[in-house]
Amino acid sequence: MESVKTAVVLFLAAAALAAPKKATVPGGTVYFTALLGHVHQAPSRPSPSLTTIQCGHPLREVSDPKVVVGGEWAHVQVADHRGFVWRRHLSGKRPNCFQARHPKFFDALQLDLAELYYWGRLYDHWEEGEVGP
Amino acid sequence: MIGTLAFLAVLTLRAQTPVPNDARLPQEKELDVVDFQHVKDVLKKDGLMQEVRRKKEEVARIQGLRVEQERARHAWPSEDDFWPLASELWLVKNAPSLKWDFDRPEYGLEETFAQLLRTTGRIGKHFRILALDAPAPAHFNLPWTAQEYCLLFSVPFARTLDLSKTEISLLLLEEVLRADEGWPRELVRPAKLKELAGSNFTGAKPDLTPVFEVGTGLTDFLRDKGYSFQQQFLITKKMDSLLKAHPELWNAYVRLLGKIDRLVKGNPTHASYLKLFPSPEMQIRWLAPEDKPL
Repeated sequence: MESVKTAVVLFLAAAALAAPKKATVPGGTVYFTALLGHVHQAPSRPSPSLTTIQCGHPLREVSDPKVVVGGEWAHVQVADHRGFVWRRHLSGKRPNCFQARHPKFFDALQLDLAELYYWGRLYDHWEEGEVGP
Repeated sequence: MIGTLAFLAVLTLRAQTPVPNDARLPQEKELDVVDFQHVKDVLKKDGLMQEVRRKKEEVARIQGLRVEQERARHAWPSEDDFWPLASELWLVKNAPSLKWDFDRPEYGLEETFAQLLRTTGRIGKHFRILALDAPAPAHFNLPWTAQEYCLLFSVPFARTLDLSKTEISLLLLEEVLRADEGWPRELVRPAKLKELAGSNFTGAKPDLTPVFEVGTGLTDFLRDKGYSFQQQFLITKKMDSLLKAHPELWNAYVRLLGKIDRLVKGNPTHASYLKLFPSPEMQIRWLAPEDKPL
């Protein structure tokens, strides 16, 4: 009996370790971490943008049984918009954004709407990686 | 004289005579009963004076913090913050010519490239890759941080040469070696950057000239300047020594340079490659084993 219990505990621990790490919880507030980005109409890169958001923008992750989202995308609510954001650009903690660290410098760049749009698109296109051991 | 003295005497007498109680104001009467020294002692005992002093200090501290925060809002970015911002702004401003905002499949290049970097000992490094739909630059790196590489590659170039993921990764590895040498970052470094990075511009407008100088520098570098033969020689030799331990990668690299050489000589669309990277033909020669007499 004891060995069964140990096996169950070990199995649960292994399952918890093997589960993909999610930085966010549905229903909770999450923060946008990229410099600029888009809330997309659909969970795909070329999908049209509903709105452009900046680093540090709070979003609410929603869980809708009618909406099936792959692991890379999160279904979120921003003001009146419900859309999709790359999960890699979300964090449960408020990020240390460039705009927050250097607000006057960033404002002085005086980016127009087209530049804000393209800057957001840039973060849709980056392929990021890390060289692990 | 006698009259004056008599008048003064009368005045003195009147001053010494107490005012009748019913003629005094209520405030005057109150002063009689208030013992100011006693009140002061009570205040001291109650700690009110200390409380006032503590509050004053707290206000001064908050005011100091506010000044500090306002000053921090006027900080010019550090170099690590500056380079990614300037490079990204250049990408944004040149989006129409670089054509990176296009619909494309997932290439899955990251894994192959990460594996290649691991093979060459660059563990712990981060990288980001952007695919371009323009034929030039065929491959390039943008000034970024010490811990991360920012790499570009042209999809039309890769498609024309029918490059595999390993071959694209080898081209990007060349870029990693260039970034390690500080190219093109040091070749487009604005003169004022050292002085401005990390400085403060409270009370003035930030000097943004370095941001725009980086953009102009990158455009000029890609269009007119390019890398020199010496720089290419150094990179080719570094690739040689890195890949020598992995013959399959070394052979793939030599084959890749042969493909590029044939393309740039025969296809005018990619002729500008030679302006930026002279020259694949020479690179192949530099890689060839030396003929040493036995």
